This record gives sequence, C-alpha cells and structure tokens, in this order.
Amino acid sequence: MDDINLIDFFLSDFINPKKRVFSGYLILSIVLAALWLLFIKQQSFRGAFKKIFDKKILWSGSAKADYKLFLVNRIFTFFISPLLISQVAISTAIYLFLHSVDIFNQNLFANTPTSVIITLFTITLFVVDDFTKYIVHRWMHKIPLLWAIHKVHHSAKTMTPITVYRVHPLEGVLFSLRSVFAQGLVIPSFLFFFGNAVDLYTIVGVNILVFFFHATGSNLRHSHIDIAYWKWLEHILISPSQHQVHHSIAEAHYDKNFGAALAIWDWVFGSLHLSENKGDVVFGLDTYESGKEGKIKDLYLEPIYEIARIIKIFAVRIVSRALNRLLLIKDLFLVQIKKNRS
Amino acid sequence: MIMKRLKATTAIVAIALSGTMALSDGYGPFPVTLQGYSGDKTNTVSYSGQIARHVLEQSLKKLAGKGNGGGNAADLEAQMLSYFNGSDDDLPIIAPKSKDGFKIKQTSLHQISKGKNISGKFYDGAMPAWPGNMSGKDAAYNMIAMAAKSNKGFDADTGYDWAQLISKYTMGAMAYNQAVDNYLDEKLSAEKKPNNKPYKDGVHYTGKEHSWDEAFGYWGAAAHQHGFNPNKVYEIAKMKNQGAADKNGDGMVDLKSEYVFGPCYYAAAFDRSGTKSTNYTNTLFDAFLDGRKLITAAAGDALSDSERSQLKGYAATIEENWEKVLAEAVFKYAGSVYKDINKMKDLSGDDLNKAYRAYAKHWGELKGFAMAMQSGKSNLGATATKMNELMGFGPVTLNNSYVTGMDSNGNFVMDRKRSWSDYQLHMLKIQQMMVDQFSVKARVNDGLNDLQALTDKLDSASSAETD
Repeated sequence: MDDINLIDFFLSDFINPKKRVFSGYLILSIVLAALWLLFIKQQSFRGAFKKIFDKKILWSGSAKADYKLFLVNRIFTFFISPLLISQVAISTAIYLFLHSVDIFNQNLFANTPTSVIITLFTITLFVVDDFTKYIVHRWMHKIPLLWAIHKVHHSAKTMTPITVYRVHPLEGVLFSLRSVFAQGLVIPSFLFFFGNAVDLYTIVGVNILVFFFHATGSNLRHSHIDIAYWKWLEHILISPSQHQVHHSIAEAHYDKNFGAALAIWDWVFGSLHLSENKGDVVFGLDTYESGKEGKIKDLYLEPIYEIARIIKIFAVRIVSRALNRLLLIKDLFLVQIKKNRS
Repeated sequence: MIMKRLKATTAIVAIALSGTMALSDGYGPFPVTLQGYSGDKTNTVSYSGQIARHVLEQSLKKLAGKGNGGGNAADLEAQMLSYFNGSDDDLPIIAPKSKDGFKIKQTSLHQISKGKNISGKFYDGAMPAWPGNMSGKDAAYNMIAMAAKSNKGFDADTGYDWAQLISKYTMGAMAYNQAVDNYLDEKLSAEKKPNNKPYKDGVHYTGKEHSWDEAFGYWGAAAHQHGFNPNKVYEIAKMKNQGAADKNGDGMVDLKSEYVFGPCYYAAAFDRSGTKSTNYTNTLFDAFLDGRKLITAAAGDALSDSERSQLKGYAATIEENWEKVLAEAVFKYAGSVYKDINKMKDLSGDDLNKAYRAYAKHWGELKGFAMAMQSGKSNLGATATKMNELMGFGPVTLNNSYVTGMDSNGNFVMDRKRSWSDYQLHMLKIQQMMVDQFSVKARVNDGLNDLQALTDKLDSASSAETD
C-alpha cells in the first residue's frame, strides 16, 4: 500500500493531463519528433530512432541531475505549497473589491451568449497566464537576484522533457505565485461582469488551448529535436527550436525568446529571435563551472550563496555611500565653521 | 468449520440486531433513579414546558402577520403579548395546526403545559444589534408593537418583516439562550440541581435529569428521531411526513414528543442542503442522548467530578454545534439577500415590489438569526460588532435609505443611503466572517462558491511550470 502511494506521489504528473509530462503528451511528442526527422530532415528510420532516444543525452550527467531534481523538488513542493497564498483568497479579495467600486456594474455583460462567455474566458485565461509567464521569465533573466535562481534551469547541458523540472524550489514558488495571481485576477473579474455562466472549454479536464500547446509538442522545447515553424508562425507561437535558442550559450542568443506558448510578447518587447538552421546549438551557461551542472547539492545551494553575495555587495554599496555622504556633510560643516571664524 | 461459521453468523446477527436497537434508541423513556422515590411514575423525561414555549413562538409568528395597517393594532398587540407574556387562560394553538395528511394531537396550550410564557425565559442582556440601545427583551417588545401596527407584518418603508424577525430572534433569545446559558451551564455545576435530590420538591426526577431534559426540549428535536436522515427530520417539521412523526401510531402527531421545532429543524435543513457535508442533527441529538444516559447511569447519586466533566463535554458539543447552526443560517440568508439584490436590479414595477418583499423576508431571517447568535452564553465581542455594522439596523430599501437608529419617540431614523452593490459586498463579507469565525460548512447560498468551483477546476499548481 505504502509503495503504491510513494509511486503515486512521485510519478503522478505522468498520468495528469494538466501536466506537460503527461504520458499522452510525451507519446505525441515522440510521434511528432519522428515525423519531423523522417519527412522534413529526411533521416533514416534508424537515424531518427537514435536521435530521439539518444543514450548520450538521456543519460548524460546533466539529464541525471534533472531526474534527481524532479524527485527531490516533489518533496519541496509538498511542504511549500500549503504555505503559499491560496488562489481562492486572492480571487475573493478581488471579487470583494469589484463590489466596492460603484462604477462597476455587476453582471454588466451577463446577457452575453454562454458560448461567447466561455470562449472569451478560455482565451483570456490562457493569454493572461501566458503573458505573466513571459514577464516573470524576463525578470528571471534581467534581475540579478532572480537570475541567480534561474541559472539552475539554464545550467542544463543536455535537454529532455524532464528538464522542465530542473528548477530551484524558489523558482517553483515564484511561478506558483504568478499562476495564483494571474488566475486570481481573471476568475473573479469574469464572474463579476459575466455572472455564473463563466466556464472553461476543456479537453480531458484541461483548458483547450493549454491542451493544444502540450499536444503539439511542448515537450520538445526541452530536447535536441529542433522543430522550427514558418517564420510568420514563429512571430505568434514559440517553436521548440526557438526555445532551444533561448537555452543557447551563443552571445547572439542571450535574453531572447522568453515566451512560453505565445511569441507575440517577445515580438512586441523586442526579444524575439527566430529559429536558425545552423545545426545543433550548445546549451548551458558559459559562466558556469564545468561539472557543476550534474551536482545536486550545488544546484540547490549555489543560488543561495549567490543571493547572499549579491545582497552583501548591495549592502556594502549602500553603507559606503551613506558614509561618504556623512563625510561630505562633515567637511561642509567644517568649511562653514572656518568661514564663520574668519 | 461449521462452528466457526455459526459463530460468525451469530456475530453478524448480533451486530445487526444491536444496530437496529441503536436506531430505535430515542430520547426516553428513562427510568426513575431518584433514591427513596415511592410513587408510581416510571418515566422521568419531561420537557413539556419547552414544547409549550416553542408553540407560543410559532403562534406569535403567525399573529405577527395579522396586522391591518393600524386598525387592529391595540387588539393585536394585546393578543401577541398574551402569547409572549403568557396567560392564565388556555390559549388556542395558532401554529402548528393540523392540515390534510398531518394531524396534530393538541389544539390548545393547556393540553401541553400550563402557565408558560416566552418573556420569562428571554435573553435580557444588551442587544446592540437593534436600534434604540435596548435590552434583549425590550427589543422583542418593540418588534411586537411594530408588528401589531403593520400591514400583514411588513413595513415597506423600513423593509422590516416582523414575523421573521420575531420568530428567528426568539429561537435564539429564548431557546438557544436558555439551553446553553442556563441548563447546560450553571445547572451543570456540582452545587446547583444535584443529581441526588429531586429537581424540586415533590417531583420524581433528579436535578440533573430534568436540567438536561429542559435543554433537550429547547433544542426542539422529536424524541424518536435518533439516527434519522435529515430529510425525514425536515419533513416532520414541514408537516409533510406524518408516518415519520407518528411514533406511537395513534394517527396523530403529539407535539410533546413527536414533532420537530425551529432550532432542530434548521439543523436538518442545513444537513440536507448546501455542501451536504454536515451532520448537525445527529451530532446534537447524540450528545443530548449520551448525556442523558450518563445521568441515568448515575442511578440517583450525585455526579462525580469526572462524570460532570464528561457531561460538560457533551454540553460543549451541543453548544458549539448549535452556534454553528445559527451561523449557517446567517450565512444562508446573507447569500439570499445577495441574490435577491441581483434579481431586483433587473426589475421594476410590480415585479420589483414582489422581489423586494422576498428580499425583506430573507433579510428579516438574516437579522433574526444574527440577533439569535448574540443571545447565547458567550459574548461574540468584535465579531458581533463587525457583523452588526455590516448588516446595519435595517436592509437597504428601494430608495437606498436604511434604518440608522431610533429617535427619542421610538421612530426609526433613516438618514443615510447605501448602494445595493455596496450592500452586496457587506453580505459577502458576512459570509466570509461566518466561515472564518464559525467554520460553517453547509454554506447554503454561497456567494463565493462560483469562485471556488472555477478555482478548483483550474488547479493553479498545474500551470506552475516554468521554461
């Protein structure tokens, strides 16, 4: 009984269609990869098979670290998630707030046909969710404190679908909060203005748009299968290849393609980079000490040390600036006294 | 092998039998335990006084709707007061009355008990939930006087529904208060009403037996409803199931033991609706029954400290769950008021007036139950202050004004206005308060459950994936 629970505890994501690594999506990804390699890349069946199930990639030090992180993070999540603010709490607060603003008229659009309401809600939720993913992801790269955490993900030298779990627990917390806020904003707003017809179009219990994102190979983003889209489509949707560019160590690829499903945000905010047909990109961090990408202990602790270093530098800077000011004031004071004497 | 099977079968039969016995295990009869008693009485259960008071309350509620706009005010007030203060004359039972398919045995008060009133057993501490700085009892007298002057128990200007206010308030200020603040409180002490003495001179039951029975009487459960499905309890109170009520099969429902009154009715109503996750009806009944069994088992000796502490444990269960039932009621009617406002926003003319009447009825229940909650043993403190502030002295009326106080002549003052949306927000906050402070679970008319449902459907953790 206990064994079954343990397996369930660690591997439940593979049977949950809300998760990217749901076995159904993984199988679809393999099919897509095979089709890509066979028909677009004109590879032999044997060559395609070898490329998809490449032992050097699936059992590299980096990949093994991914698998360990997958298991250990599960335990972290189990203990941390109950501590986070619940979505219901945020939704309720926003719902109550909307009541308190007199110019907002409750059920203003309640007469909208139900199918329109559901379509709007499904799209809005997906778009808002995706946009907040873009923003937070961008911050993870641009703000040194957050980059210290996000580096863990980018330290992967080989990528498999499990690399999506190669994140520091603190990043998990940030992304959970993001999700809580995004949905906590959309749900009460819709209920307030559209009434209780609000619902979601789903397939196997998942937002239909999220389902399509996963069913069309979201898992291949973290892989060596560089499926690219037409250029016009890569302005709208991030292709697996584009996300691989995001993981590249080449300088031209720094801070590009932060988007999750939609490329529009990168396009609008100037961080879009289309896929290139230049052969395999190299993944990882050029600044990262080689070998550390496979050490679990370092992956968990390095970000903490780095955060401490950043805070220290920041603190020293503030203190020294304050001291300089004080010295300046002292000097001005002395000058004034001299003037007065003379 | 055969022996083993036989043993197993015997065990199963025995369990099944004890199961059925447990189900038919009602509140009484319980034998005489009073030591030295030589009379011929065999059953010590007695709470007809409480039943009489429930009947007085229900009759008073009916009378509250009989005003004709002032013409009969004096007569009606006198009549209502005869039920509230009691009367030497035998008063007719105005409610509950027999109807097709549900025959009630008693038709007048004296057939139940003589000399009973509501006013003598009414909470008389401060009642800040009602305008005019009144005591609990004065607030009731004020409502009675206003009801007598009203047109069919309704005052459209203030939005007060007097029948609902009086009835729900009394369920707390009389029944809940007497049970939790008197019989299950000081009368459980070692000194008061000891178990080795009769409750009073000449009776055949002990001090503790009768104290406990009185509390049970105020709860208003049918004596035989042990283990009943809440639907059945509900149907008895709604006079829809004579078969379930008529325990002794005499073709009549005896109000003294076979009927379900207000407090217990609401417990059943919440158990069978909303989230259907509560079990107030049976939790309370079992606590009453277990407590009574404990007292009976003491066989007329004074209760030991450990017996009394066990009994107090049952009393605490009763008090806690009874309070929750009242909180569930506040939750439910705050939700009704919220929904009523949504309806009214889209209406005009006669439809609006009709919807406004329903809104006022629900608000009366909300306010009545809120006042009931404040009539118990414990002072709700800041919770009560906040709840009264959110609810106001009166509902937001059709012209957005609401009762803010009472002038020195006893007239309601309505010098403020509030938008309906704002008032809806208050209702949601009241619901949230009932969840936070009293952990209500049935949550009927939950104004926030659409949020909860959608949130559950989305499961935020699922989209925590990063890239």
